[in-house]
Amino acid sequence: MKNNIFENAKSVFLDSVDAKDYVQLDRVSTIYQSLKDSVKKPLKMILLYGKPGTGKSMFLNKLYHDLSTSQKVIIYQTPILDENEFFKSLAQDLFDVKYQGELNFTQFMSIVKKHTIDNPEVPLVLLDEAQLYPTVQMEKIRLLSDTRSVKFVITLHKTQKEDLIAKEHFKTRIWETIELENALNNELKIYIQKKLMKANCFDTANMFNQRSVNFIYKLTKGNYRDTNKLLYSLFEIYSWYLQNSPSSIKTNEISKKIVEMSAIHTGLINA
Amino acid sequence: MLNVHELERKYKAYKLKTLLPYVVIFVSLCIIFVVVLFVKSSDMFKSNEAQHNQQAVQTHLEETKITPKKEVVEKNETLKVVIPKKEPNLVLSPSLNFMSNLKHSSTFNEVSYQSVIHKDQKKESIKQEIPKKEKILKPAKKEPDPVIIEEIKLQKSNPIKIQRQITQDDLSHVLKRFSKNNNPALSLFIAKKYYDIEDYHQSYNYALITNRINDNIDASWIIFAKSLVKLGKKDEAIQTLQRYIAHSKSSQAKTLLEEIQRGKFR
Repeated sequence: MKNNIFENAKSVFLDSVDAKDYVQLDRVSTIYQSLKDSVKKPLKMILLYGKPGTGKSMFLNKLYHDLSTSQKVIIYQTPILDENEFFKSLAQDLFDVKYQGELNFTQFMSIVKKHTIDNPEVPLVLLDEAQLYPTVQMEKIRLLSDTRSVKFVITLHKTQKEDLIAKEHFKTRIWETIELENALNNELKIYIQKKLMKANCFDTANMFNQRSVNFIYKLTKGNYRDTNKLLYSLFEIYSWYLQNSPSSIKTNEISKKIVEMSAIHTGLINA
Repeated sequence: MLNVHELERKYKAYKLKTLLPYVVIFVSLCIIFVVVLFVKSSDMFKSNEAQHNQQAVQTHLEETKITPKKEVVEKNETLKVVIPKKEPNLVLSPSLNFMSNLKHSSTFNEVSYQSVIHKDQKKESIKQEIPKKEKILKPAKKEPDPVIIEEIKLQKSNPIKIQRQITQDDLSHVLKRFSKNNNPALSLFIAKKYYDIEDYHQSYNYALITNRINDNIDASWIIFAKSLVKLGKKDEAIQTLQRYIAHSKSSQAKTLLEEIQRGKFR
């Protein structure tokens, strides 16, 4: 029975960008709401940036999940680096146009023009990991957003963002920039416990006291991805001990030793 | 697949690695503490040794101090003999510091010399008192009262004689010292002593000797001039003082010169 508890807790922290796993925190909810508001504004482009593991992809997925029922929205979680493929995918997903053969930017723009007259609603395109797109392709995305026929929300890493938005043409076009940050100490505790309680892992959620969360925060600095990795490993070790040596663990609180072991396992501690 | 045993091994190595700096610091602090303790204890041992030696010296000194007392006690029975025998231990050892002051003012020197005499008297009286105490403390077998009375008689009967004896002895001691080191302070002291006991020939001689050794001592020239006046050589004294004043601008010499010229000093 106890084994199942730790196994369930472990699965909670699988690194995924599923919108149903989204955990509402006060500060994050405010940011998300501002993103949703920005989408409704007549902006050409919205930039969502932050360090890796701060929840950008989750945000984008959540946005897609929330807006997909009310408006035309598509999401590209992995970049389509081939220009021809990118425009063909856009033509199909946005306008249901299956184009045979090569589709260049000019051809795509004529399709956009034709469909905009028929349907004045501006579709939303969510591009994750936008820093991976080639510069030429980004220039064409920028031209496309200039037509106001398609609205883009792009996410990129903070380090890349400086290169990208430093360019004059992007500076003028990006009307909204939203930065995502790591969780604060108290937010991290809420994040862990909410995540566990959503999966009905109440026993394991109660194992986290402020001391153990502080130590986890010290290791992960509030990064959601690192926290997920650490806790996944933590419950994997707990599960192993429960099966092989149940007397060597306590189930009333998180053991610092096991946190350190999982940090070693995930590479957060260089042993 | 998670290898917990391997992870535990890594964890132990990690803990060891994190604790190592603290262990090193602790051990080094311990070593420093032990070294400091050792150094301090060795210092204390040395100081104890020194103290022990000092104590040994002190006890030795005390022993040496005690023995003459015994002699004194023994000799108290014959009081008249005891007094001169004790003299070398008690007085007539004018300090050079005192003599160095003579260089600056003759009047002061006179005063200090008198004080020396007083000290001599005091010391002598103290010396005489010592046996009194010893006698009083002892069981009254030999009737202490007559002894005390005898001492008082001795003090009162001829105090001048005692002074003269001391002065002569003092002078002979200083003369010996002067013959050894030719110190002008000593020769000046001798000159002043002779002047005080009205042996003006000798005071003239020793003042002259002092002036030959060091011709910048005011007191010496003043004694020299005074001795000349006392020997009836007033003109010679005036000439000497005038020359000296021209040379040194001494105010004391000027005062004396005026006194001689006006006839105040004869």
